[in-house]
Amino acid sequence: MPPSALVDAHHFEAMGTNCSFFGVGLSRGRLLEGEFWVRRMGARLTRFSPDSELSRFNASAGRWIDISAELEALLRESLRAFETSAGLVNVAVLPSMAAIGYTRPLSFGRPPATEARVGPLPALPDALSVRPGAARLEPGAGIDLGGIAKGWMADRLLESLGPNALANLGGDLSAGGIGPAGTGWPVGLAGVTVLLRDQGAATSSVRRRQWGEHHHLIDPRTGLPARTGLEEVSVVAASGVEAEVVAKAALLVGRELAPVYCATHALAWWLSP
Amino acid sequence: MRTVFLKLGATVLTVATTLLSALYVTSHLKNPAAPLQPSVLSASGASTVSAPGGSLTLGPSVQPSNVQPVTSTYAS
Repeated sequence: MPPSALVDAHHFEAMGTNCSFFGVGLSRGRLLEGEFWVRRMGARLTRFSPDSELSRFNASAGRWIDISAELEALLRESLRAFETSAGLVNVAVLPSMAAIGYTRPLSFGRPPATEARVGPLPALPDALSVRPGAARLEPGAGIDLGGIAKGWMADRLLESLGPNALANLGGDLSAGGIGPAGTGWPVGLAGVTVLLRDQGAATSSVRRRQWGEHHHLIDPRTGLPARTGLEEVSVVAASGVEAEVVAKAALLVGRELAPVYCATHALAWWLSP
Repeated sequence: MRTVFLKLGATVLTVATTLLSALYVTSHLKNPAAPLQPSVLSASGASTVSAPGGSLTLGPSVQPSNVQPVTSTYAS
């Protein structure tokens, strides 16, 4: 590897956010293939379109429904995230999102004021069952894959982009290989550059997608927007999806316990009260 | 008569063994400062870097750099 190999970059907007690919020696065709895959997956996994695979799954609560291999993998990843975060990361937040009025993209305007009346979320394994090629939601339950989908997709993109590449989907990123200079991929984390090699990074925050007294990050213990004394957490972990799960769990666990949680689950972390 | 002596002897032997064991244990207390065998590397290799709005903690597998980042993690 030369001291600083030329980096191929590709930027586009998808899933309501900015996406970027970086790689060394990547062909234009491979970059475009990656973009098309992100767009296809985004269309299938959005909860804002009634025709998406996720919306059809949410609408079929109470019965088994055939699902794609990608949605099955994501649902299994969500169950794993619930388990490893001791229930703090729970994708069954759709009823809470509806209760606080977050039923359409915020780019369409501020959600209407609501009197949120929800309770704690059900344990995900009680609400969601997955078997090969099919899944079932309990009546009344609903899924929003949120950042888990972006972290998972960033990890999958590395498999198609090549061994020395980086995928960033709206701040959820996965970096594979030794980077352009052989020392790792230089990535900004809380204003500091860190070098990532076969690692992922993610940020969880209540500062974005905020309106009135509400924001989008639901605390599964209350079913309401989280108030934990932390407003933003950035994390480096072994993969993009793991970083997403740890960042969200650290923010939810609160200001006092987050340093200990991150010390045992993250490779680097930034906590902002 | 012989049976009684045998029972008595066994009882005395049991009590004596118990007392001597207790005496040995109390005079050989575990040293809490004793080193682990084999010795274990310290698990804390983390360093803290000042960052705007909070503190950034880096584990041993993540190195800071002065080069310009190609991208960043952020909330979206």
